[in-house]
Amino acid sequence: MLLDEKEARALTDKLLSYVRADDAIVNVSSENYSHLRFAANSFTTSGARKNTSVGVTVWIDKKRGASSTNEIDDASLRAAVAQAEQLARISPVDREYLPTLGRQNYKPVNGYSEATSNISLQDRARAINDVIVSCERAGVIGAGFHQARGAVNATATKNGNFSYERSSLVSLSTTARTADGGSSGYFLRNHFDVAKLDAKRVAREAIRKALEARKPRTLEAGVYPAILEPQAVADLLSFFAFTFDARNADEGRSPFSLPGGKTKVGQQVFDSRINLYSDPWNPELPGSQAAQAGIPAERVQFVRNGVVENLTYSRFWAKQKDKQPTPGPVNTIMESSERAATMDEMIKATDRGILLGRFWYIRGVDPRTALQTGLTRDGIWYIENGKIQYPVRNFRFNQSLIELLAPGNVEMIGAPERVGSAESQGNSAALLPALKVKEFHFSSQSEAV
Amino acid sequence: MKTSRRDFIKTAGLAAGIVAAPGALTSWVSEVAEAEAIAAEAIDKNALSYIALNQARKLGATYADIRINRYRTESISTREKQVQNVSRSQNFGFGVRVLFKGTWGFASSREVTPAEIWRVTRQAMDIARANSVYQRKRISLAPAEKVITTWRSSFEKDPFDVPIDDKIDFLLKVNERAMKTNGVSFVNSSMGFVNEQKFYASTDGSRIDQYIIRANPNFNVTAVNRANGDFQSRNFLGGPQQMGYEYMEKYPWMKEAEQAGEEAVAKLKAKPIAPGKYDLVLHPSHLWLTIHESVGHPTELDRSLWWEANYAGTSFLTRDKLGKLKFGSDIVNFVADRTQKSGLATVGFDDEGVPGQEWTLIKNGVFVDWQTTRDLASMSPGKKSYGCLHADSWGSISFPRMPNVSLQPAATNTTMNDLISGVEKGVLIFGDGSYSIDQQRYNFQFGGQTFWEIKNGKVGEMLRDVAYQSRTTDFWNSLDGLGGRPTYELGGSFNDGKGEPGQSNAVSHGCPPARFRGVNVLNTAAR
Repeated sequence: MLLDEKEARALTDKLLSYVRADDAIVNVSSENYSHLRFAANSFTTSGARKNTSVGVTVWIDKKRGASSTNEIDDASLRAAVAQAEQLARISPVDREYLPTLGRQNYKPVNGYSEATSNISLQDRARAINDVIVSCERAGVIGAGFHQARGAVNATATKNGNFSYERSSLVSLSTTARTADGGSSGYFLRNHFDVAKLDAKRVAREAIRKALEARKPRTLEAGVYPAILEPQAVADLLSFFAFTFDARNADEGRSPFSLPGGKTKVGQQVFDSRINLYSDPWNPELPGSQAAQAGIPAERVQFVRNGVVENLTYSRFWAKQKDKQPTPGPVNTIMESSERAATMDEMIKATDRGILLGRFWYIRGVDPRTALQTGLTRDGIWYIENGKIQYPVRNFRFNQSLIELLAPGNVEMIGAPERVGSAESQGNSAALLPALKVKEFHFSSQSEAV
Repeated sequence: MKTSRRDFIKTAGLAAGIVAAPGALTSWVSEVAEAEAIAAEAIDKNALSYIALNQARKLGATYADIRINRYRTESISTREKQVQNVSRSQNFGFGVRVLFKGTWGFASSREVTPAEIWRVTRQAMDIARANSVYQRKRISLAPAEKVITTWRSSFEKDPFDVPIDDKIDFLLKVNERAMKTNGVSFVNSSMGFVNEQKFYASTDGSRIDQYIIRANPNFNVTAVNRANGDFQSRNFLGGPQQMGYEYMEKYPWMKEAEQAGEEAVAKLKAKPIAPGKYDLVLHPSHLWLTIHESVGHPTELDRSLWWEANYAGTSFLTRDKLGKLKFGSDIVNFVADRTQKSGLATVGFDDEGVPGQEWTLIKNGVFVDWQTTRDLASMSPGKKSYGCLHADSWGSISFPRMPNVSLQPAATNTTMNDLISGVEKGVLIFGDGSYSIDQQRYNFQFGGQTFWEIKNGKVGEMLRDVAYQSRTTDFWNSLDGLGGRPTYELGGSFNDGKGEPGQSNAVSHGCPPARFRGVNVLNTAAR
């Protein structure tokens, strides 16, 4: 079972009682995790893990030391504190040290479901068997991953702050491949509440895509108009709100930097309909109640109507620049300030373009422009005269995220949907819309399926 | 090294004794030693493993193993003249894996007590039983010999015994040397060390203790042109190694830090590459990553069987290509090796009791074998496991992971300059940079750290914004020159991700410098 608030507080109190250092922050996390994988239409691995670990960070004369352990008997806790203090004594002064927070008031978020944390083994086996049966009936080969997690995070400071939060996550992803290996489809969804995870939809969409992607044609690489489904947008932008770092921008290391140490705050960097923010209390996408260093999280607007409104100031950088530390981000939400377009409307409005469902192996190439490279995967289609015409072989892309969302490039924006990034294996979640863009840069063909 | 209780206390005491400052010494040593003695005292691994294995057998498991593992890590990071982080962590627990009716079950916990082992073994069986109702293809295991032994990785100086302040001084000196060049704006440096103390016991009767040390030092130097917003960085070229602290003492750190500073600044003014076809001469500090992605991953048998289709992907190396596909030119030979000195994936035994070994994957350019485990063996040509099963924690289920996969050098004494002298129009690349490859490992794109023009057999100006794209088999078939044994170096990754839930694996790739003809090069800054 996960630690309840009383048990977590007993541990943080005990840790703090051992601290002789000037300042300290201690953390207790406990986890209840399980997974089931399947591949080639058969179960492969399945397992469970139960863990509790503690972390201790202390400062002595502004010198910092940290240690962590998952052995939580009194002697081990004492030793963890002693080790952090020992490391602090021999470390140079932490020039970015700021006293830990005193007591804060948190407005709780609702991101925990008991049924998710303690998922039934039998129910899960049956649900995944249903996915495999759907694959078999459709004549495709299924592979996928189901995971469920309950987690507790408690933090306390020597200066009197205490925060306790429970969260849960369940995700299911499925890849369906035709037996000849000629086409593939993928679908992923996650939620904090297992009752809201539609396993049948995940299977149905993966299978549909695999079947509709059969016999792909080869198109020349180049610049194409494109429609990105929410999954494709999530693969590129799930963590977008976390890239608005003020220090990187001030130091000239970010796409939000301007020559001469200035930043793009106040500038129209994105299409005027684009809004990007973080909101801990979004019911579909609850974030953490605590932002950086334990500051109570609040809604933070990063982009309003295409204009960069805020960058994230750490407590240290805020002090340097005489600003307030930013109470976020704790999640990424993007939405249009105008009416959202449906996928059908986007396809109908496309004279010529590519429909994209998933990106893969995305890596940064140039941080100045947020240029990313990666590949398309698991089904892409050519659209002409407002209709999907035929599936297409995969491409490598080299695309700047800033240019993707720039004024003039964004044509239509869908309604935000809760999606997880495929590369995070469904561990991340964001609320993101489908996008129709004028230009997407494909740099070469890929024969991978 | 067998980690008896006495060794355990000795190690803890020794480490504590060296790092502790006078005055603080006594209490800290006694506290740490006391805690670890209590932990060790409580743990008779053989008796605990008997509980799990006996219980699993009684409940109908056809195979079971238990791993009781302790992981210690230390990490220090600095930036310019300040320390950013010093931390140590301990992680201890056990995992029980059972095979019931051809279905895997696994459960794990941090509480290493008889009662918890009993509970967790039942939980692993419950998971296997619940899933076995619907299991289609029953998993079977190749046999393994009973082994009772201990093994210790090769290192001269245990990094956990070296005082932290020595390490901090070292990193700050690296930073100072990197900052020497006018125009260097930032430098980050770090050292990370891992110690794995692994115990494995199985229903085969095996009991294996292993003690492994790995070192992961790094630095990154950045130069910013504030007038135009441009910035360029240059990373450390040496990479992680399965070595002790002697790595810090033997590698020419200061020289490379100074060179990195100069090169980061020079990159700001370097000549942008004109896209097109070039011959490439790739240094081992760069080529290891291309080997990892385009040779290491596609020769994993589980990928070829679509077991990783949902995430890491499948492989273009399908089973019908074995013994037939011309993967590379005649001089291309790749060897997999879990016994190689300093190789990050080197082990005495894998996580199901199979000894570390060496075998050939690509012979004279032809694809001839896979990486295998006991549950994959029946689907491989040799019907045997090469010992590739690995879990990154006591709490992770073990599954197929990559051994050290290395390109063999030429039998001649060819040098890198010899390779360069045979190029009219080319690029010489050092260091690993941006990388991306598709899920079947056909198409890839790699950047690097520094790029140099090769013109008429000579190294010329520095270039920037270089990346190359190719197809795996086109690329390896275009290889026409290899350095000799003295030019062979090991590069590697400390955290190679694979699997769901994702697990990390440390793996090395050795190679000499190599020459490739007519590769497509792009300018990453071009619009």
